Amino acid sequence: MSQAIQAHEVINKDVLVLGAGGAGLRTAVQILSRRPETSIAAVTKVSSPQKSHTTTAQGGVAAVDPKDRLDRPVYHMFDTWKGSDCSADQNVIKTIVDSAWEQILWLDAHGLHFTRNEEGRFSKRTFGGHTLDFGGPSAFRAIFEADRTGKGIMDTVWSESLKNKVLFINQSLATELLFRDGRCIGAVLFEAPKGTFTVVLAKATVISTGGLGQVYKITTNCRQNTGDGLALVLREGLPVMDLEAVQFHPTGIVGPGILASEALRGEGGILLNKDHEPFMEKYAPKMKDLAPRDLVARSIETEIREGRGIVNSDLNLPHVWLDIRHLSEYVHKVKLPEITGFFSKFIGIDPRTDLCPVRPTVHYQMGGIPVNVFGEVQQSPDQIMPGLYAVGESACASFHGFNRLATNSLLELFTMGKVVGDRIAGYLREAPEPGGKPAHFAEKTSALFSGYLEARGADNLWSIREALREVMTEKCGVFRNEQQMSEAIEALKELGQRTRKVGLTSSSLVMNQELVDRFELDNLLTVAMTIVVGALARKESRGAHSREDYPERSHDYQHHTLAYKQEDGGIVLGKRDIDMSLHQEGGEHAGQFGLLERKY
Amino acid sequence: MNTRQTLVLKIHRYSPENNQAWVQDYQLKVSGMLRFTDVLRKINQEQDPGLAWTSSCEHAQCGSCSAIVNGKPLLLCELLVKKAVERFKTTTFVLEPLTVAPVLRDLIVDLAQAYERVHQAKPFIIDPAGPPAEGDELRIQPQMMDHYVEATRCINCFCCAQACISRPGNFLGPNAMMANIVRMLDPKEQAKDERLDILSAGNGLARCHTARACSFVCPKEIDVAHFLALGKQGKMS
Ligand SMILES: Cc1cc2nc3c(=O)[nH]c(=O)nc-3n(C[C@H](O)[C@H](O)[C@H](O)COP(=O)(O)OP(=O)(O)OC[C@H]3O[C@@H](n4cnc5c(N)ncnc54)[C@H](O)[C@@H]3O)c2cc1C
Ligand code: SF4
Repeated sequence: MSQAIQAHEVINKDVLVLGAGGAGLRTAVQILSRRPETSIAAVTKVSSPQKSHTTTAQGGVAAVDPKDRLDRPVYHMFDTWKGSDCSADQNVIKTIVDSAWEQILWLDAHGLHFTRNEEGRFSKRTFGGHTLDFGGPSAFRAIFEADRTGKGIMDTVWSESLKNKVLFINQSLATELLFRDGRCIGAVLFEAPKGTFTVVLAKATVISTGGLGQVYKITTNCRQNTGDGLALVLREGLPVMDLEAVQFHPTGIVGPGILASEALRGEGGILLNKDHEPFMEKYAPKMKDLAPRDLVARSIETEIREGRGIVNSDLNLPHVWLDIRHLSEYVHKVKLPEITGFFSKFIGIDPRTDLCPVRPTVHYQMGGIPVNVFGEVQQSPDQIMPGLYAVGESACASFHGFNRLATNSLLELFTMGKVVGDRIAGYLREAPEPGGKPAHFAEKTSALFSGYLEARGADNLWSIREALREVMTEKCGVFRNEQQMSEAIEALKELGQRTRKVGLTSSSLVMNQELVDRFELDNLLTVAMTIVVGALARKESRGAHSREDYPERSHDYQHHTLAYKQEDGGIVLGKRDIDMSLHQEGGEHAGQFGLLERKY
Repeated sequence: MNTRQTLVLKIHRYSPENNQAWVQDYQLKVSGMLRFTDVLRKINQEQDPGLAWTSSCEHAQCGSCSAIVNGKPLLLCELLVKKAVERFKTTTFVLEPLTVAPVLRDLIVDLAQAYERVHQAKPFIIDPAGPPAEGDELRIQPQMMDHYVEATRCINCFCCAQACISRPGNFLGPNAMMANIVRMLDPKEQAKDERLDILSAGNGLARCHTARACSFVCPKEIDVAHFLALGKQGKMS
């Protein structure tokens, strides 16, 4: 390691969790319930795990109540498969859906305040895409804590981790994975508050770093969602999967991108273009404003592209209107106060008298680090990397395929968290000790950080970050085509060149936020390039990936995309099969799990 | 709607390398529709990439961006320029870091240290009441939950602790006390005696002087003082 960049400390743990969000901490707690003597460290970029992004999720969690006489797990499996545009893995769907209710009860027993009905049982609400009888009437399947379900989950797993003495390492970054004899033995951390680098040696390492929304200009995602976990594995030559599958939520508030939930349209809110025309009638004559997320997002984008959007002069952003002026005082004040409140609080308008500016906003990554049904990270479709696991939004098992259903992400966090926790508890019984420091450790971290600190140049890293987000939004957003994506690749290369010349104001390591931002910028560039390369190669439209030049789903692409980063920075692609075991095993409902046409 | 404003920001800065503190002025023209987090980002982009501040969700759900603006503790992500100008009747704003934990750099404080006080109040179920039967949820009447769920909306932004007239050295803080009290009200918690010990400890509720500053500043509009009053009156079951 170079002079400035030295590992100041080496610590040993049984398990290292990189990313203390809902998924990472559910995993930690499960390991401790099986093996209470396990020592675990959990790392987060924020000042407490409680502040992880899971805490912002609003709507709810899907889980079929066994007491429900109408709903059945197989209907939930069908909705997930159909919603994924036939590209989720059916073994994963089955594992998650079958364990949903048991895990809801676990959360309830450990403190989550699920909203109750008059009988004192869980209240339930319905969401788009949740049906009974394989596409029949709406299912009431989502359990929730008011409009803060994610906070309930985060608080529960955070507090259980605290109770069980997980060591939290806050405001820190995982910068590099460590390996010995073909297995992962821990990671290098940059602890920003102290300005030190720490080597954590562990028998098992879990990546649970969350999403990548900051790659785009407008997003519901938090500032820390810079795809760090993805960049981390790509730097090690390990693959990522389906990064081109990025979910846009149709109605983000202009300009902060905050989520304006479907519930507003559910209550009767209508989308209007600049001529105040209710345009959804043209695109989805039957379902209109309540059509699925990807369809509404594409319709809004089309209106904007064809000149029927409005441009906000303050923010220079095109948008359409969401009209909720006609909704009753009861809806504004009692039913959806938080969400209607967002408009007055964050953009200073009164939704009872003003039209609300909205546009598609990046919400979720369906892709991630490829794992099997136990959360073990794959080096290739048939080989795992021993000692390394991934879970949550940063992992791709794949439960969501190319389009995620509302309420299915939170479900994945804690059901897969349990599965991965159990798997690690088993692995720890036989896992070899990580041994001392490997001979060449922290070389990548050293090279990266020395480079950041030594660079001289006047370019501004926030300008580059904004330019990157602009490129991705314009050229690889809701709609994609070959020409624009080719331009995006060139533009990203140029931004990469510029980035190398960014000189930092201070060479101090202690809480140097600019240094953290600089590290994140590298990750954003890596992830952005991987998204574009995958999207360019996938010459079809599937779920959230919509190609203007290839508008149909194609059997030639009935597989997952694997992407590997090479030494020279180039991205090479591979494939992984989509598991269709529910279909292949035959039985009564096998027909519902074939290659269905996705029509609503 | 174009609402541009010229602002002067006087930001309290601190550099740990040489232990220096100073106030730096920034002047910039911005849209009234920006939030203070956007304004700071603009400063990073256009004037000073080295100015350190922090945030996360930027929609008032995580409590990472608390700071003191013209003497008031608040969340920077919620403070719209237009509204700030109306509220404080000025276009000059003094930004200071919270004092509930040591400053690390500029506006960033070591919130993990402030969290230690919340941890002392045991923000978890110490002794859980099990579910009634296999596969069934614990029955809780919604009217019962109405007594305490409001307090579970707390995001630990520490604005209340900042405004509190008792200092952190003596008092665990309004948010920490509330985390204890809410679990005394929660039927899932059985360890009520241990909770009472936390409440009556030397750094517990006796340090609350009922000034109600906590309720006044809470960005989640939680009536923190109401919950602390329940604790004082012993009305917890
Ligand atoms: C506004 C909003 C509403 C949503 N609503 C719903 C909903 O109603 N239902 C639903 O099912 N889903 C919803 N989602 C999606 C869901 O909330 C997320 O997918 C999920 O919470 C992700 O959880 P996670 O544990 O994987 O990651 P996170 O909660 O994002 O945690 C990631 C952790 O990793 C840390 N980290 C990141 N990088 C590093 C690094 N380099 N080093 C160390 N630590 C790092 C972070 O600090 C954090 O602690 C919503 C999402 C948003 C944004
Ligand atoms: S009670 Fe309110 S002010 Fe105090 S920490 Fe919680 S959210 Fe912040």
